[in-house]
Amino acid sequence: MAHNGLPLYPVTVVGSWPRPSYLLEALRKRQAGQLTFEDFNAVADRAVLESLRYQEDAGVDIVSDGEQRRDNFYSFVVEKLEGVKLMSLADIMDAVEDKAAFDAILRQADAPAFAIHNTTAVGKISPKRSLALDEYQFLRQHTKKPIKIPLPGPYLLARSMWVKGISDSAYPTQESLAVDLVEILRNELIALRDAGCDFVQFDEPVLTDVVFNAGVKERTFMCASMSASSGDPTKELIFATRLINSITEGVDGIRTGIHVCRGNWSRKDEVLLKGSYAPLVPTMMGMHIDQLVLEYATPRAGELAAFEHYPQKKEIGLGVANPRSDEIETADFVVGKVKEASQYFAPEQIYLNPDCGFGTFADRPMNPAAVAARKLHVIAEAAGQLRKSAN
Amino acid sequence: MSDQEHKIVNGIDLEAFQSALEVVGSQPAAKHAPKASRVRWVDGLKFKAQVRNHTFIVDEPAHLTGEDTSPNSVEYVLGAYGACLATGFVMNASKQGIKIRNLEVSLESTQNNVFTFLGLEPSTDGHPGFEEITAKLFVQANADEATLRKIWEHTITTSPVHNILTRIATIKPEVDIIA
Repeated sequence: MAHNGLPLYPVTVVGSWPRPSYLLEALRKRQAGQLTFEDFNAVADRAVLESLRYQEDAGVDIVSDGEQRRDNFYSFVVEKLEGVKLMSLADIMDAVEDKAAFDAILRQADAPAFAIHNTTAVGKISPKRSLALDEYQFLRQHTKKPIKIPLPGPYLLARSMWVKGISDSAYPTQESLAVDLVEILRNELIALRDAGCDFVQFDEPVLTDVVFNAGVKERTFMCASMSASSGDPTKELIFATRLINSITEGVDGIRTGIHVCRGNWSRKDEVLLKGSYAPLVPTMMGMHIDQLVLEYATPRAGELAAFEHYPQKKEIGLGVANPRSDEIETADFVVGKVKEASQYFAPEQIYLNPDCGFGTFADRPMNPAAVAARKLHVIAEAAGQLRKSAN
Repeated sequence: MSDQEHKIVNGIDLEAFQSALEVVGSQPAAKHAPKASRVRWVDGLKFKAQVRNHTFIVDEPAHLTGEDTSPNSVEYVLGAYGACLATGFVMNASKQGIKIRNLEVSLESTQNNVFTFLGLEPSTDGHPGFEEITAKLFVQANADEATLRKIWEHTITTSPVHNILTRIATIKPEVDIIA
């Protein structure tokens, strides 16, 4: 049974796709200042179309551009905003007093300072270009399928962009930076809606850092949450909710979602967070968005019973494939997950996607494209079985 | 002597120091004194080392095409050894209430065959590690020679860097190639 022009159990992606080597080379040149924005995008156009082909061949119903133009899911805003600079953690550590805290993050992440870049507010921010409208417009020329555009969430951007010792010359507090971020993101959402975009997903992985590292004021590298938290999860979650709602309030005619994962940038489970969504569910229910895009393909995500007190309140983008593993899930596994989710969500509320993107960071993909494609094929196969059973 | 005169010796507040030792001693995990350092390549033969919130540069001398802005790694080790011996001597002497007027540690070293590091000779022809180090303490203090020599001997045997240089640590090298 179709719904909103989509088949039942629409198959989609979370966003990122592995980058081909020629694109990584172009990205390196871009970052070294050896390639213009326009020339880089000309190279990225080809990679976007390759990513699109993989998705369409796999049977994906709502496609993305694979975030091919992005260094990672949030730092790309440095190309789009004035007043921000992509600083390596090495440069940040040179500028800040609390170097040891950043070193601790790197040890936990098992990563070198030179490989981690952070989009840092170094002055007053303002739009230089649209955040993702260009990405949408290019993809729209090449597919008739509905399009999802992921955007970094406002809480993620506020936490990552505000660095004490660097940002406070323009923004005395993280909250003051968030005011400008909300305006920019809201304008982008409206522009995408007006251009015909079907789905905008706000990425807010730092929310799991808030609940699973509760009471920890120090920064964690959970998706580069460089700004120290207040340490009070309730305060942080209220802040995050207020920001999202300020963006989406009154903006109709486009599906909105929030993606919250525990980090999918490493194959080492021990450096990633784990825990049920239960502590976050009340907060997510208070957000004025349509869909929760969540990871449920691995045990670390906990049980879907976390939604038992909120049946059928929102759509779920059900994570049914682990982007970090070599093992290809089976259609039976996916069908099993859907059956479990059906206890808490109506059939037309269930969308199917991998747990996260396959290339959260451009230079550290979790799997090659061929493996990612096989995982999408399985999800689509399972969706086909489920639709058949439903008829 | 007054209590005040006992309290601070050689700039060390002995009571505070003793309290600090007791706190450290009460934490079994502190016995292994975990440490961390991160060293980044700057350019050429210059590197930036960070330990806690401190940063220091490691460079090579001009005759090895470095910029000679800072000591090289081996020179840091030599300096660290001297500083460690000096630290130990001052600490141990102060605990006994001995006032030190002046103190220096002079060190000289030779390496077995640094040409193996530079690639001028094969690694089968020796090693670039220290061959010999002389460490000479110069001290003026309010104690007799026998006492000071005893403190020096104790300082050497309990010096962490002395033990680093004379014992064999388990080194676990790893590499992560970043794409």
